[in-house]
Amino acid sequence: MVDVLFIGLSLGSILLLVALGLAITYGAMGVINMAHGEMVMVGAYTTVMAGIWLGTSIFIAIPLAFVVTALIGYLIERVVVRRLYGRLLDTLLATWGIAILIQQAVRLEFGLSFFGIHIEGLGPGLQRVDVPAVLQGTVSIAGIEVNTYRTFIIVVTLLMTALTWFILYRTPIGMQVRAIIRNPKMAAACGINVERVNSLTFAFGSGLAGVAGVMMSGFKTVFPNMGTAMVVDGFLVVVVGGVGSLLGSIVSAGMLGEINGLVASFSNDIVARAVVFAVVILIIVLKPQGLFSFKER
Amino acid sequence: MTKRYLEIASYAVFIALVLLAPFLLDDPFWLNRIAKYLVFGMLGIAIALAWGYAGILNLGQGLFFGLGAYMLAMSLKLASPTSLQQGSDTPVPDFMLWNAEPGSKTDLCCINKASFLWIPFQEQWFGVVMGLVFPVVVAGVLGTIMFRKRIAGVFVSIITLALVLLVRLLVIDAQPITNGFNGLTDLGYFTVGGFEFDPYLPETYYLVAGFLVVVLVGTRLLIETRAGLILQAIRDDQNRARYLGFDVPRYQTFFFAVSAAIAGIAGMLYVIVAEFASPTFMDLTFSISMVVWAAVGGRASLLGACIGAILINTIEATVSETEAFVEAWKAIIGLIFVLVVLYMPYGLAGIASNLTDRLLQLFGNRRAPGKRAANAEVQQPAE
Amino acid sequence: MTAALTIDGLGVNFAGLKAVNCVSLVIDEGELRVLLGANGAGKTTLMDLISGKTKSTEGRVFLYEEDIINREEHQIVRAGVGRKFQIPSVFKDLSVRRNLEVASCRALSVISNLGFGFSQSERSRVDEVLEMTGLADEAETTAANLSHGQTQWLELGMLIVQNPKVLLLDEPTAGMTQAETHKTSQIINGLKGRHTILVVEHDMAFVREIAERITVMHLGQVLAEGSVSEIEQNPKVREAYLGSKGIA
Repeated sequence: MVDVLFIGLSLGSILLLVALGLAITYGAMGVINMAHGEMVMVGAYTTVMAGIWLGTSIFIAIPLAFVVTALIGYLIERVVVRRLYGRLLDTLLATWGIAILIQQAVRLEFGLSFFGIHIEGLGPGLQRVDVPAVLQGTVSIAGIEVNTYRTFIIVVTLLMTALTWFILYRTPIGMQVRAIIRNPKMAAACGINVERVNSLTFAFGSGLAGVAGVMMSGFKTVFPNMGTAMVVDGFLVVVVGGVGSLLGSIVSAGMLGEINGLVASFSNDIVARAVVFAVVILIIVLKPQGLFSFKER
Repeated sequence: MTKRYLEIASYAVFIALVLLAPFLLDDPFWLNRIAKYLVFGMLGIAIALAWGYAGILNLGQGLFFGLGAYMLAMSLKLASPTSLQQGSDTPVPDFMLWNAEPGSKTDLCCINKASFLWIPFQEQWFGVVMGLVFPVVVAGVLGTIMFRKRIAGVFVSIITLALVLLVRLLVIDAQPITNGFNGLTDLGYFTVGGFEFDPYLPETYYLVAGFLVVVLVGTRLLIETRAGLILQAIRDDQNRARYLGFDVPRYQTFFFAVSAAIAGIAGMLYVIVAEFASPTFMDLTFSISMVVWAAVGGRASLLGACIGAILINTIEATVSETEAFVEAWKAIIGLIFVLVVLYMPYGLAGIASNLTDRLLQLFGNRRAPGKRAANAEVQQPAE
Repeated sequence: MTAALTIDGLGVNFAGLKAVNCVSLVIDEGELRVLLGANGAGKTTLMDLISGKTKSTEGRVFLYEEDIINREEHQIVRAGVGRKFQIPSVFKDLSVRRNLEVASCRALSVISNLGFGFSQSERSRVDEVLEMTGLADEAETTAANLSHGQTQWLELGMLIVQNPKVLLLDEPTAGMTQAETHKTSQIINGLKGRHTILVVEHDMAFVREIAERITVMHLGQVLAEGSVSEIEQNPKVREAYLGSKGIA
């Protein structure tokens, strides 16, 4: 039973990492970023490429992927999302279009495959990443044998969540973000540069997704499509958790991850995911604002 | 008034092209392909009806498409020669036999626990009726729940998205009766009055084309009714419509169900033309593609969305010689989609409409020259 | 005099805050009643309760003899109550004429509206109202392109076309110029007698032009009732609410 819970926990923590970034952008800007999944994919590919071209391990890939995806996120916000402020559905659609572009960019190796040039580590095929020896096998925690890599994922997630919490609640810019979440117009009236903060928020969220991608590359094959499933899972978590609620996202990620794990142990993976979707639909129907929501009715 | 004539003319030209295609295209394989794209055109219409007119962005239209498809596919599967050769007097789908428990009776009622559900599908008309009824009922129930609870905008879209993914998983999981990932293949021909609709016959093309025309014109007329006008009012300001005495959820559910019906019919036609039904019909990417076609063609234009769907898919087919070109085309579509959302919310139809307005202003009230059908659709919501 | 709108002990409790507290009012048929009060007095909430936007926690509302308390909004509308909102809400993407046509629909169900066009009587009514509200020249303009004052008149026009027994008007002159306000008072005065009207307002100059009887609300309760002069001289009113003198 413990390992079932543990697997649920590690599934939940990946979900959380992905969802954290989404939760922040959704909460602060009301943006549903369909390109978020591609940020995860880019993070995974960064790990692959870094491994091939720079010979680095997963540990180095983490900050590297963070920077790369944060930069891409920043660009997306400045060029596209900013122009659609307030138009929720249009942002969803536009970011989906961007997701397609990013995916195709990887598939087509930035267009170079047209000219017969192939970059190792890119392209439509599958890639994998070697997990460093220190993270392989199992480790003993409180007398129970648990998978090392899964533990690593949980640890990294906890660290990133703690970092995010720290930035949000203990730094000046975090306070600005929270002000914007509550009331963007008032925040602007108080002199906060909402546009700049939004760009940085979006970038940070994307960065988190990149880190999630690094984590995923360690135990899942890396291929251009991997992002699509992620973004759906991710924002379902966020919508269930509630607008602007970090706690809500954490709880809902944990909850949905556990449900997935539990049902999978009784039945199978497919039914488990179906049940998760059903639960999500139920929650949205009963409480569209999410489980914990701070926005006024 | 002149704009109206132009609009009718563009519909007429489009319909003429669609009906004349078999005379312009000799190749039965291409005709079959175009028939498939006509089906996608119907999906475009379904999306535009819900999105542009009712304000409901359905990100899971594949659900209704898939349900309609599977219903007819089940009937056609039972009519397939292989199903009749499974060693029983009554037809049994081959995959059920392959996966059956040894020693179970090879009969639909009992070959596996849920196979009895297939029994009524032995009659082709049952599959046809269910292909229409099932999606409509699901849409009716879903719509009633969502709209009575005043769920709106983004959340409706998210629910439709989650639902199509959910049902896709259920279909895959119900392997004993749906053949899971593999879907339903090796189907018999759709038969009416003894005539078999072989997918490569021009008659089959006309079956599809006929339905497309009926759906296109029928939906357009539906929009022209007072109910259609009220629907647009609801889209603009739900509250105000409520305060004029209209039962808003009922209107929304009605048109949502009509949109589902169109998708269901499209699903059935697709099965006839493509000879299979599969869970890929309920892939998220497919459902969102439908939205992309409608957006590019014109979300508030039935003809525009229809043409958008046909055009995009035809180009993709033409370009699919090389693998790299297909991928590049997808990237281009992604880019166009982003640009449409940012700068041209009413798509090509919107551009055509604005152009026509300008031309009409320039030339006074005389007929504007050169009304090319493809994008001359002038669908303004206030029409 | 028949009572068109009877409000009996109506109230609503928002988690401890009694936004409307045991309010009783009787408005006679054909009467025009003005509801005055400072911001937060509960005027709009009272209208929300009558029209069904908010569910009450106590009391009843009668439209003539019919009990309409806590019914669905569109059902209350069908019973004969029309409402104009503080922030003018019209159908932005439709033309002015279309807006009025939608409002003029006699039949309200989906099935009954699966027909084309409007009857002669409906169309002439629309034309009548276009004249009345001075929007005849803007008939084909998209509602989004109207000025603020014109939007208010359009919404008023939609109400008139609807032909309800009771009209609830929430700040019909909000944001209007003096000239526009005067025009609005003319329109409303033209409705007196044929409709029962409850108006929420702040602008005293406007109120003086249209009022017969005034009810003053304060902190969710009825403070005083009477004619314009009675209210102006009422010491309780002066104490609680000297209010905006408007553009007097």
